[in-house]
Amino acid sequence: MATVHLQADHRRFTGGEKVLAVNGDTVGDLIRELERRYPGLGPLLTDGASVAINGELISNGVFEKVDESTEVYFVAPISGG
Amino acid sequence: MTVTENPRTTEHPRTYKYVGTRPVRHDGLDKVTGKARFAADLDMTGQLRGAFVRSPHAHARIVSIDTSRAEAMPGVKAVVTGDDFAELDPTHPEFDTAVNLMARTESLYSGHVVAAVAAVTASQAAAAAAAVEVEYEPLPAVLTIDEAIAEGAPIANPTNRTLFSGDTEPSNLASVNEFGRGDVEAGFEAADIVIEREFRTVAVHQGYIEPHACVADCGQDGKATIWASSQGHFAVRAKTAAALGWSTDRIKVIPAEIGGGFGGKTTIYLEPVAVLLSQKAARPVKIVMSREEVLRATGPAPATKITAKIGATNDGEITTLQSTMHFDNGSTKGFSALTGAMSVASYKLPNLQLKAIGTVTNTARSAAYRAPSAPQAAFAVETLIDELAQRLDMDPIDIRLQNAVVEGDATAMGAPHPKIGFVETLEAIKNSEHYNSPVPQGAGRGVATGFWFNIGEQSSATVNLNEDGTATVITGSPDIGGSRASMALMAAEELGLAVDRITPVVADTESVGFTDITEGSRATFATGMAVVNACRELIEELKQRAATIKGVDVAEVDWVDGAAVIEGQDPLTIPEITAKAKNSGGPLTATASLNAAGAGPSFAVHVADVAVDEETGQTTILRYTAAQDAGTAIHPSYVEGQIQGGSVQGIGWALNEEYIYDPDGVMENASFLDYRMPVASDLPMIDAIIVEVPNPSHPYGVRGVGETGIVPPIPTLANAIAAATGVRMTSLPMSPPRLLAAISENAGG
Repeated sequence: MATVHLQADHRRFTGGEKVLAVNGDTVGDLIRELERRYPGLGPLLTDGASVAINGELISNGVFEKVDESTEVYFVAPISGG
Repeated sequence: MTVTENPRTTEHPRTYKYVGTRPVRHDGLDKVTGKARFAADLDMTGQLRGAFVRSPHAHARIVSIDTSRAEAMPGVKAVVTGDDFAELDPTHPEFDTAVNLMARTESLYSGHVVAAVAAVTASQAAAAAAAVEVEYEPLPAVLTIDEAIAEGAPIANPTNRTLFSGDTEPSNLASVNEFGRGDVEAGFEAADIVIEREFRTVAVHQGYIEPHACVADCGQDGKATIWASSQGHFAVRAKTAAALGWSTDRIKVIPAEIGGGFGGKTTIYLEPVAVLLSQKAARPVKIVMSREEVLRATGPAPATKITAKIGATNDGEITTLQSTMHFDNGSTKGFSALTGAMSVASYKLPNLQLKAIGTVTNTARSAAYRAPSAPQAAFAVETLIDELAQRLDMDPIDIRLQNAVVEGDATAMGAPHPKIGFVETLEAIKNSEHYNSPVPQGAGRGVATGFWFNIGEQSSATVNLNEDGTATVITGSPDIGGSRASMALMAAEELGLAVDRITPVVADTESVGFTDITEGSRATFATGMAVVNACRELIEELKQRAATIKGVDVAEVDWVDGAAVIEGQDPLTIPEITAKAKNSGGPLTATASLNAAGAGPSFAVHVADVAVDEETGQTTILRYTAAQDAGTAIHPSYVEGQIQGGSVQGIGWALNEEYIYDPDGVMENASFLDYRMPVASDLPMIDAIIVEVPNPSHPYGVRGVGETGIVPPIPTLANAIAAATGVRMTSLPMSPPRLLAAISENAGG
């Protein structure tokens, strides 16, 4: 199980849970599992978030591999000027 | 100018031959001689000129548009209105962009385009635009953050829904986000000193010297070619296709040279209109904005209202930070508030609560501006930290060093920082000759820091070896800050070819793989990584060719300093291999594409000495030094240029620049005579110190350098002015009349 860290905006779906253990082989799997558990959360993690995997930020990271040692943070999308 | 001794870490122990040198940029001669072709320089056979009809109202319903008189005027070949554009669902990601470039049922700000014409000459087009008859029903306008959030405020944009809220009703809130950690109230209880202030900033423009321009040529086959000045021609293609309801294969975008963007050319304003006019007229159409149009109708950076409260112990440990940040997006929604709040990432903050609120008003749609929204947030946080240092009688750098984040510490959203160089950058200023010199008599010295994430995203590169052993490096990243030179230097280092034997090319959307916008300080990092990967693939092929030529197994071939080396034989250089390419397998080329992860954040620390004329309120910058972590400076001159350019833009933002609106929401200072940007005579030399803490996620350790330099100047100057006058400025700009009023108020006048 990967460890998923959610933002305050996400926690209205999870009853306040900030850190969750989630099954899956990819970030996309984690999102699907979170959507199953907390309907409505999924779109915020795909359209409305980038992902930091073990501290490395990547946009559109749904196919990134995860395992039980992976720390995943869903953070706001970042672009730039 | 100072460059620190290179403190490369063990991850990047190499001494480079080309990386870190300062060759003349490949595009330099054309630019200084005027030969470089910007979009406004292009002229096609049979070309028409386009002109816009813009709403004079901040908010109005469009009752009717009568184009008949304009269509009958001499030289007029086409007129378009909102009715000519595809209907997009409001949830479409490009809906706001499409509505911004041509109003449909409502004009949402003064300057919003409601129609466009194409005529044989520019003056005919302007005359015809003036003859288009538009009947408006003025609606109540919302012009400021306070008006937008007021109870019972009129709705500024009826299509706006608060992002990800699930709300179905229109709102003046673009986005509301809250995040943090720990217990801020406990943090305040643990503090010996608590400071709270409200900060205000106004809209400012990116100020690129080249107004937006494009040429579009729509053919009989229903396809269009666009020559555009932009930070990302693939994005121009995608956004134009979305606005028109076309598939992307119908559009080819050729990048013209770009005369500055700074984030303001990451979106589009012209291209779909030019395509439709060209399609209607069956002739190429060129549109060039005037400076007035640029200022009235293209993206300023958001105005803000930020409250911030900080607590610390008497020994300087920051215990907590709480802030509510309102960022005005202008006429449509955006993420500006969120990136502002997220940029609060420089200090160990065990207790942190950030609320980021984006508002929608009847002002021009805001756009990205160099480290978008971070300068406004830094103004608040870095001012409070300076005040903490002052009240605790601590050195302003020491208090920052005590609380500075290092690798593994949490960012604003909790994810840990990767390897970063904040401490090293603070120490670079602390050890600088400037910081250790006495403050000039009567002057004040200010210090502040800045952070920017930097991003990776998608890039592609192709490297072709020519018959004579020279190379062409082809990318899709418009060169807004010297990236051609960076690409050539990294290719030179990889291949072992002299940098002047490499030609870097920015190719059109049909000639190179997809590449995201040049934004987020990503080009040298991400596109550079694609170039390196392509070169490394090419080297493997070169080794194979050398093995074929010499009749040995490829395992016996090493690649050393630009040549294939086989024990007991003379090395084979690239020209010697390319000369035999036809006989050994054909042309030598390699392509790489990636979605780059691991963009290394960059930190900057600035120090300034200022003198304030207390009779006029005029601030004179006596000395300014800026240090920034570049990871590895591929071309140090362009890193210094980025540091200096960011500093200068931040100085203008701090001291003079502002959008001034009349009570009806019409911008009153839409020219460079009245919108006061700094010029060379306003500025001292900006001394740049390059700090190099390599990014382990890049083959050369690159961190983006384009944006961070604009973050510290506002609080640096505010802190320097406070030191010089005793007055804490909490609103921008700190222009002579505003500063004079504050000094007078402080004196009880």
